[in-house]
Amino acid sequence: MPEDLDPVIHAPARLRVVASLAALGRGDELAFPKLRALLDMTAGNLSTHLRKLEDAGYVQVTKTHEGRMPATYLALTDKGRTAFADYQAALMDLLKGAQ
Amino acid sequence: MVSDPTAGTPAGAGQDGDGGALDAAETLRLIREQQERARDATGPDGRLLFGAWGLAWLIGYLAMWTTARTAGLPAAWAGWVFAGCIVGAMVFTIVHSVTRTAGVRGVSARIGAMYGWTWFLAFLGLGVLLGAMGRAGAEPEIMAIAANGFAALITGLLYIAGGMLFEEYRMSAVGGWMLVTAVVAAFAGMPHTYLVMALAGGGGFLAMAVVEHVLRRRRRSTSARTEGGVRSA
Repeated sequence: MPEDLDPVIHAPARLRVVASLAALGRGDELAFPKLRALLDMTAGNLSTHLRKLEDAGYVQVTKTHEGRMPATYLALTDKGRTAFADYQAALMDLLKGAQ
Repeated sequence: MVSDPTAGTPAGAGQDGDGGALDAAETLRLIREQQERARDATGPDGRLLFGAWGLAWLIGYLAMWTTARTAGLPAAWAGWVFAGCIVGAMVFTIVHSVTRTAGVRGVSARIGAMYGWTWFLAFLGLGVLLGAMGRAGAEPEIMAIAANGFAALITGLLYIAGGMLFEEYRMSAVGGWMLVTAVVAAFAGMPHTYLVMALAGGGGFLAMAVVEHVLRRRRRSTSARTEGGVRSA
């Protein structure tokens, strides 16, 4: 059963990243510092997890400039949204099985 | 790291190199909490916005009503109190919304900005319209009825539109109530049109702030209870 749970999402830190981004509307992006503050993670730690999520195709990382300052925006991809929905459905199945 | 051979414990507990084991109920609770936090951090708090506008309408229109009741027309100071209340609520709304939504970009930010500008343009239009009516010689009573009726009408329609845009159907319900307020305020005549605006309009916003607060608390305690029950089962 646990192999039904997506290992990319099933790590507490990445789960919180994905859950936060899934709370945004489709087509919305969140600035890196805002996400970092929301998760209370260090920038290095968050970057590491974001890279894994990006490699899996779950998160889209957009690097841009605001004035002269570089800015990074994160968004859940459609693939990421589907993976998160599947993950939650798998958890619900596990809960029902446990009762 | 696609399938993890060490993951074999019941109730969905899985080992992952990046963290400890989580069971299914605990994980679902974590997801809900995190999403609630994310929504709080990226969108305005309905309780605060309804509360600010409720107080502004209640205090502002009550000042207009009490002075209009004795003198026939609202006193100048009441007009200033009213203007101060409206400007205060407007500034609060803008600052609160801009602060909360800072760092979010994309579709909802564009829709939110357009929605904010629509309010501004609608009330600018109303101001010009009332000015034109005054110039054409409209009586003070007619001006008062038009000002209150149209203000409540615009507010009602924009709340209904906001409810549709943001899929917040309670917002549309408030909009519907404001259309009723517009009609009642128009027929109440002087000076009671102001009392209707204060009680039905301002009171409606304040009631909604309370509803938002109750729903929020209930949502939190329900999710805590559900998961507590599942965990002990």
